Amino acid sequence: MATSSSGGDKFTRNLVIAMVALVVVVGAGFSYFGSKGSTTAAIPSSVSKDDGYGIVFNGDVPNVPTIDIYEDFQCPVCARFEAINGITLEKAIEEKKAKVVYHVLSFLGTESILAANASACASDQDKFLAFHKAFYANQPAENAGAINADFLKSIGAAIGITSPEFATCVDNGGYSDWVKNVAEAGAKANVNSTPTVFVNGKEIDRNTEYFNAEAFAKAIAG
Amino acid sequence: MILNLIEKFALGKYGKWFGLICRLTLGGVLFAAGWLKIFTPAKSQMAVRAYEVLPIGLANFLGIFLPWFEVGLGVLLILGIGVKLSALLGGALMVVFIAAISQAWARGLSIDCGCFGGGGTVEPGETKYLSEILRDIGLALMGLYLFRYPLTRFAVEKLTKTERE
Repeated sequence: MATSSSGGDKFTRNLVIAMVALVVVVGAGFSYFGSKGSTTAAIPSSVSKDDGYGIVFNGDVPNVPTIDIYEDFQCPVCARFEAINGITLEKAIEEKKAKVVYHVLSFLGTESILAANASACASDQDKFLAFHKAFYANQPAENAGAINADFLKSIGAAIGITSPEFATCVDNGGYSDWVKNVAEAGAKANVNSTPTVFVNGKEIDRNTEYFNAEAFAKAIAG
Repeated sequence: MILNLIEKFALGKYGKWFGLICRLTLGGVLFAAGWLKIFTPAKSQMAVRAYEVLPIGLANFLGIFLPWFEVGLGVLLILGIGVKLSALLGGALMVVFIAAISQAWARGLSIDCGCFGGGGTVEPGETKYLSEILRDIGLALMGLYLFRYPLTRFAVEKLTKTERE
């Protein structure tokens, strides 16, 4: 084996270890501060900070259950959930039978952030629900590069959004800081899966109530 | 008895080659596992929270820190620098993972270990606790071997005299 056991070897080794440790700490630091929300983020008008930065429907209706829905636009199970329960939720909103808060998480990656931002842009046009529905009906494969500004604007066009502000908002990603706020609030609320549904702050039964339209309707009746 | 046999093997002709395999396996797994999670911190935080062991704040911190830590250990092991220390830390990490997965299994949680990205709650039939634990036991043993016999083939560092003895 090598005869060298000089101090130089040891110094170089410690230097490399120190450098790797530094990269780890700095990298983790960047990652931490990069994912942190901001109190000055632009937020859509339908959003309530007190509801975890979620998009709120029927926030002013008294004595109804609060339904919090945590989703990621790219999550395939969320598309399945929407296909089964979307109508029930829309009805509950329309008939003012519940306060519904949509939390658009973005843990699946950058394309989730683009989609969440666009949903906020749609919300400013009073078209969040329509956007939400149309997006899930046409949900592309996860992180395949399909979710870009053109795709999101075509979803908007399909549900009748014509305003140029929507296009600008999608292009500029004006709500991407808000998307981080939503993610941070979701992390604090201990949401570990999508979709996750809370009724009055309590999660409904994942085994029986998520993917059965009848059971779901009963569960959200409060 | 068995320890004597291992000692004999480790100091024999193939010991350092086996050490190289351990280094590249443990290091490669750690590097890959970390790398796959680094760019999706929110998902990684979710995976740690899903174990339902740590307070949410600490789980969220670890979700961000652990991937970088794994990459760092992986790099050192693959290069063969600070093998003794990084093998110890890597092996200890595996023991922690084994404990975390075991408690999730014992409590009847349905989660993915989130070892290579992914993670979080899964359908009850989709858990893979046994294979995850067996894999981590193998990796922990490799870490232990490297800690005891850090001198391996093709390592960048040459151990100092005291460490060779």
